[in-house]
Parts: sequence; C-alpha cells; structure tokens
Amino acid sequence: MAEYSWEVRSPLRNAFAPGRLGLASGDAGIALAEISDFSLVQVMARRGQVANVAKAAKKAWGVLPPEKPAAVVGKDATLIWTGPDQFFVLTAGSVPDPVPPLAVIFGGAASLSDQSGGRCLIRLSGSKVREALAKVSSVDLHDTVFPVGAAAATSIDHTGVNLWRGPDAADGHPAYSLLVFTSFADSLWHTLADAAAEYGVEATRTPLS
Amino acid sequence: MRIACPFCGERELGEFTYLGDAAPKRPMAFAADGAEQPEAQDLFFDYVYLRDNVAGDMTERWYHGGGCRSWLTVTRNTTTHEIKAVHAAPGAGAQKRTKAGATS
Ligand SMILES: [Zn+2]
Repeated sequence: MAEYSWEVRSPLRNAFAPGRLGLASGDAGIALAEISDFSLVQVMARRGQVANVAKAAKKAWGVLPPEKPAAVVGKDATLIWTGPDQFFVLTAGSVPDPVPPLAVIFGGAASLSDQSGGRCLIRLSGSKVREALAKVSSVDLHDTVFPVGAAAATSIDHTGVNLWRGPDAADGHPAYSLLVFTSFADSLWHTLADAAAEYGVEATRTPLS
Repeated sequence: MRIACPFCGERELGEFTYLGDAAPKRPMAFAADGAEQPEAQDLFFDYVYLRDNVAGDMTERWYHGGGCRSWLTVTRNTTTHEIKAVHAAPGAGAQKRTKAGATS
C-alpha cells in the first residue's frame, strides 16, 4: 500500500488576510476568526437507536445530544444539532482519524463519518456581530430567540451552514460559530468580511481550544 | 413565502426546493402471484407523467436542503400560497408535524 503524506492547508488560504479590514478607525466592531485544529464527526443514529445514542453520548461527554437545534457543550466536546436524529461532535485538536474512538463510544448504534477536512470553522464576535450577520442570514439572532446554546442548520448567501451561538466572548459580546463546506469557505469568508467591513473587522486565525 | 420546518422552525423559501405533488402512489407492475398487470403501462404513464393542476389545497413534497436536509409534506393553497400544515415526510427522522406558522 502506498504511503501518503497529507499536507494540511487552510481552506481559507486564498481569502484570509490577518489584521484590520474595512473601517480603519476606532475599535473593530467584528472579530472574524478562522478556527483551526479541530476534529469533526457526523453522528447519525441508526433506525431505532436514538435512545442508545443519547445514552452513549451522556456517558462519554456528560451531556445528552441535542434533540432540537442547539449546541451542547460537554466534557471535551461540543455536540451540534444538524438534523433529526443526527449531530456533529466537535473536539479540539486535529487527529489523523477521529472515528475509531467514537465507534467505541457508540458501539454500532450510530453511523459515523469524519468531516474534519470537509468543513471550515469560522467564528464571529464583537459589538456589531448581530448587525453584520443580519445582512446575510435570515435566522433571527435576537437574544430572546437565539440565546447561548442555540443552533440552526441554515443557508447564508445560498450556502448551507451550521450556525450556533457559543459562550459569549471575553469582552461580553455574543460569539457565533459556523461550519461550512471547505470548498465554499473562501466565498463565505468574503461575504462575511464584506458584511462586516463597515463596522471594522479584525481577522485572526486561532486553534480550537 | 415561509415554511415552518417541523425540525428547524420557520424559514425562508430559498432554503427549500420543490418536488411536486405528494399524492401519486407508485402502482404495482405485478400482481401478488407475479403475473404482469395488464393495465400497468397505463398506470405507470399516469404515475410518471400525468399531474393534476390543483387550484386550492394541495399536498406537496418539499426538501429542506438549505437546512436540516429533511423531506417534508406541505399542505399549500396553490392560489393563495397559504400553508396549512407541514410535517415530516415518511422516513424523515422522527415523525413530526407543525401547524403553519409554528416556530418549533
Ligand atoms: Zn429543516
């Protein structure tokens, strides 16, 4: 068997430029970050196995998987709703194959598929983050309907994304994460940067912690 | 037009694609004993090509491809676009139903 050595490259290698974008004066209203070094596995409960999948997740991460659009933070993993009876398991750190440990956890109750290299993770926060996202998303992000922990499988700029609101940023502003197919990441990044430009953008790249 | 997905809540039309009439049922090409049905050709022609042009309430299949990727059965008035009910199509995850306008 041939030996492969994969070169890890950012899906945003063409679009990403670190530092200030758009409005140059005052504090940046938006922090736009590519989050790297994560593992992402799609978990789909097999027919009649939803309860067993929930039990296995609870044992592994101390939380039940979301039954409605939500992102649940567990021990060492975030479980993000992607559809009925299915969710993502997002963990920090990039590993060659994240599936085998999950196969042990779920023991055949779920179908698993590695999406780590298939998705790009982008995080937006800042004082103007909701104004910028409102231009491109039709989901209502108001605190009362999209609080911390809320999630949505939706489309932004005709591109399917998994969007969720994580814990607020250190400065107290809301923080939204989104996962997008890597081949659409460049395009979506430009869309988000354009929407945020009038508020001033600080672009960074940081590993998932 | 907005569709209240039973899984995602209310979303804009752009997240959905339209398949069409949910009413046609695939006919049987063969009888239970394996004999070919003499009228099968006509039944299949009807099933594949012929559609009612409903003015009023119609049950339709829609796909939430821009969201949770579930197939839905939608009851829509074709003259007013009023949506009276949305529920998960058979086999789309857990069976769920929402009234039009419901958000969860
Ligand atoms: Zn949906």
